[in-house]
Amino acid sequence: MKKYHLSDIAAFATKKVYSSMFLLALPLLAIAQSTTDVVEPPKEFSLANWNWEFISYCVLSLLLLLIVARAFDIGSLTEKITGKKVVNWNSTNRWVAIIFLVASVAGICYEMIYHGKYLMIGDSYSEHGETIDSMFNWTFGITFVVFAVTEGLLFYFMFKYRYRDGQKALYYFHNNKLELIWTVVPAIVLTFLVLRGFNTWSKITSEKPKDAQEIEVFAYQFGWKARYAGADNQYGQSHFTFISGKNPLGLAVQEHVDSLLSDLKKDTAILNLQIATADDSAKAWKAAFVNFNNGSNATAYPAVFKELKTKMEDAESGSYVRQLKKDLRRKNTTITRITTYRKDDKVFNNAGNDDKITTEIVLVKGKSYTFNFRARDVIHSAWFPDFRGQMNVVPGMATWFSFVPNKTTEEARSEKNNKDFEFYLYCNKICGGAHYNMKIKITVVGSEAEYNTWLATQVPFVAPPAASAPAEGDSNAKDSAVVKPIVVSIR
Amino acid sequence: MSTTALRSDHHLNHDHHDHKESFISKYVFSMDHKMISKQFLITGIVMGIIGLVMSLLMRMQLAWPDEKFGILEMLLGKWAQDGKLDPNFYMGLVTIHGTIMVFYVLTAGLSGTFSNLLIPLQVGARDMASPFLNMLSYWFFFMSSVVLLISVGVETGPASSGWTVYPPLSAMEKAMPGSGLGMTLWLVAIILFIVSALLGGINYISTVLNMRTKGMNMNRMPLTIWAFFLTAVLGVLSFPVLLGAALFLVFDRSFGTSFYLSDIYLEGVGAMENIGGSPVLYQHLFWFLGHPEVYIILMPALGITSEVISTNARKPIFGYTAMVISLLAIASLSFIVWGHHMFITGMNPFLGSVFMILTLIIAVPSAVKVFNYLTTLWKGNLRFTPAMLFSIGLVSFFISGGLTGIYLGNAALDIQLHDSYFVVAHFHLVMGSSAIFGMLAGIYHWFPRMYGRMLNNTLGQFHFWITFITAYLMFFPMHFMGLAGVPRRYYMFTLLKEFDVWMDVNKMMTIAAIVGGAAQLLFLWNFFYSIFRGKKAEQNPWQSNTLEWSAPVKHIHGNWPGAIPEVYRGPYEYSRPDREDDYFPQYVPDESDSVGTGGDGYGSAPKRKSTKEELVAENVMFAAIKRVFGWS
Repeated sequence: MKKYHLSDIAAFATKKVYSSMFLLALPLLAIAQSTTDVVEPPKEFSLANWNWEFISYCVLSLLLLLIVARAFDIGSLTEKITGKKVVNWNSTNRWVAIIFLVASVAGICYEMIYHGKYLMIGDSYSEHGETIDSMFNWTFGITFVVFAVTEGLLFYFMFKYRYRDGQKALYYFHNNKLELIWTVVPAIVLTFLVLRGFNTWSKITSEKPKDAQEIEVFAYQFGWKARYAGADNQYGQSHFTFISGKNPLGLAVQEHVDSLLSDLKKDTAILNLQIATADDSAKAWKAAFVNFNNGSNATAYPAVFKELKTKMEDAESGSYVRQLKKDLRRKNTTITRITTYRKDDKVFNNAGNDDKITTEIVLVKGKSYTFNFRARDVIHSAWFPDFRGQMNVVPGMATWFSFVPNKTTEEARSEKNNKDFEFYLYCNKICGGAHYNMKIKITVVGSEAEYNTWLATQVPFVAPPAASAPAEGDSNAKDSAVVKPIVVSIR
Repeated sequence: MSTTALRSDHHLNHDHHDHKESFISKYVFSMDHKMISKQFLITGIVMGIIGLVMSLLMRMQLAWPDEKFGILEMLLGKWAQDGKLDPNFYMGLVTIHGTIMVFYVLTAGLSGTFSNLLIPLQVGARDMASPFLNMLSYWFFFMSSVVLLISVGVETGPASSGWTVYPPLSAMEKAMPGSGLGMTLWLVAIILFIVSALLGGINYISTVLNMRTKGMNMNRMPLTIWAFFLTAVLGVLSFPVLLGAALFLVFDRSFGTSFYLSDIYLEGVGAMENIGGSPVLYQHLFWFLGHPEVYIILMPALGITSEVISTNARKPIFGYTAMVISLLAIASLSFIVWGHHMFITGMNPFLGSVFMILTLIIAVPSAVKVFNYLTTLWKGNLRFTPAMLFSIGLVSFFISGGLTGIYLGNAALDIQLHDSYFVVAHFHLVMGSSAIFGMLAGIYHWFPRMYGRMLNNTLGQFHFWITFITAYLMFFPMHFMGLAGVPRRYYMFTLLKEFDVWMDVNKMMTIAAIVGGAAQLLFLWNFFYSIFRGKKAEQNPWQSNTLEWSAPVKHIHGNWPGAIPEVYRGPYEYSRPDREDDYFPQYVPDESDSVGTGGDGYGSAPKRKSTKEELVAENVMFAAIKRVFGWS
């Protein structure tokens, strides 16, 4: 058996380790530096501007490290002189293992006391959420026992069976009975979990509830919009080619689509002109660049220089024209598509004119809702953590999620003892730079009346003409007390 | 040149020191598996440091989102104006940190290093089946690393759509800055990487299958070799699918196809032409590699742990056959569980249930492995070398992180937990920390074999405990955050007042990360100092049984100077009652011996009465089970 001597550390512990200790402190120094304002440096040199607390921590930790290193140094010298081992790592580690185990249990308890009330377990604000929470509790109960037993045994074995000279390990290399047990028992337990999970999952996701009110939730870089059906209880059709500044959801509304179409036609005319005159532009930029490049302009105005240079190079390499042609092709395709759909009366049936596009989602407690998701550009994910709901929002693919909120925002506030509490829908799929700030507020109200009051304050997408006949909308409403919208994207 | 023709008969008759090797053929374009393994290791360590620094930058951003770090502006220029990290660059860090850690450190750095070093040495071969392809494998990996690092420096920033690079975000140049040139280079790097992984994998498989020495049956192979072999099989079967996915993405980006794109209106561009593709198709293709990839990372670490734990517990690994079968089960199941990454993508819910069932089955072989490790430790004679400590650390992380897999594999719970910090905690423990600890265990254990010198033990002990404790401090609190509904990949939480309560936890995790990162300096110092100045290694410093310790300490071409040693028994004959030593190497002939802990030993093993402790253990187990299931 090889003995673990410390003598070899002595050689460099004194000289080399000390210098590496300073390297360890570098990140800490970076933090210390952070606390001084970089943009406006202090005008006068003053010791009061230094973060003395932090510096003292750094100094203290350095000293501690030095002391530890020095201790080992002395230890290894003692070893050399006396020939006895000072540190027996095998017995040191057994104690460290036990200390680690105890400290971890304490740490977890502390964290639970400190932050336990923020965990979203058992405080679901939707009906199906309670089944998810109960599933969670079952899984937690089982895994916690396994976790405690196996981790406990692992560290206990470290403590109990450390190396001792002259001791021999038990020659024990297999036991079919034991192995069978710990194959079959996990299998049975997992079967239980799988069946329960299967039930819960199927109930939540398999079918859209028939009596649910449908709300369209629209995601874009970087925000959310909700669309409620208007007085006619019908959603207008929508398509991504109809999207424009004035029509952010791309609803099939004649006036907006017509103005988009004419804008696109103007754009293509300009593009055609640019392509035709591309050679002249190239010459002009080259001349401008040559002109600008005289003297010290290049160093004095680097940004302008760079821009001109890029323009000239793009024009010379032909990538400028290629880009124009690509744009033209894309715009022509869009024009063709819009013109085709524009002729379809079923698409442009005015159903969307009174749809209400909102920047907040308002729900009524106890009512069933289905959210139909649409994405404008990239994949987003709609996460309602308080309602235990999540579904990806995928461009070109219809997805949905249904739930029944079972408590109002007010009730949640009093439960949480937090008068500022709000429900939010977060984006939970990486979608770009501002992914971290993409949310929409959800308010759950107690009665249909409150909801109607709120909805009445929302403006319809197209302001209704002064003398519109309300009869049609009324009859529709009578036919179906529940809103049955069509949110099909046309292909 | 004879270095390329590494047939065993050739080397039997030659003195290897005769070869005059130039610097380039020895250290750069080397075809010797031991040198290639060192190349993989050093490249892996360098990439690992870069990945680690990136994670520290992210952690500092999360802990002090409003602070201004002047040093950052100095380092990162326009990506940290006024010392504040740019959100787009944060996303780039998320992406490149993930890519580096998953592919470059834990796939190439771990599997590349130890498969190369150990497969020929432990099965008794002169070198890999094709040393030339092996060399190509490293150089493709090297080129890939270089391209990836270049992509971090391009003007529009590195790829920033997460290491999974889901289209459409990654498919359209205008979707975000990182989706421009950075993304193109990312794809090039990954394609080069796949080539490297395939060349390596084919080599490992053919070496294990064809070049084992006399007596080295499949059931006498060390568990490391089993793990490397199955890892290579996984890689060879699944990486081509990623190649397909990446090529489609290249087509969508550059040639106007619509494999993954449909119905898109992009701000600043307008309506796109693409129609009829599906972003979900990419996710299926990606995760068809992505899930086996998790096991490509984990299985070599588990193999190394089996070897290290058995050696340092001075005890045969418990249930060799069960360990091999569970590896096989994990490997084959890993191909049919990819859908659990996609429960909430809008995939048909019934398909979700199928994937849920298959996913939870994979917990059974994993549980078997954990119980077998524990039984191996039970009544052992544990020597706490740094390698042993890191292996025990792996088992601990494997338990902590593995159990949360039961939550996330459950589709119903995944609705709530998907893409929350709970997931971050899960995979950093079970895949990240576990595999890194397996890799470190391997480095501490086989460093004498690689460099002929010993690593310093004391520094190793400190390295372990600091890393172990800080890793738990970093990743365990993330479970709580995830359960409280904190989403992952957020640049900062200060705009979301509801998450203010997690601020101090974030700070604590960041400090733990900095201390843990600093502890790696101990390791680096130890590693590079010991390469040149470490104590000279003995022939078999850990008194291990396996074949690699019979080769001379100083590396020679062809591994053994004379004939390749024969193998007489399984690899885990420690503490045999009939032997005086507590180990009994595979290569030591003994006419009377046919007992073995390898699979082949069972049949001929003499019947042995169970000891008292074993009977007690069995009875306790049975009693507990009877009580639980109500059997009388």
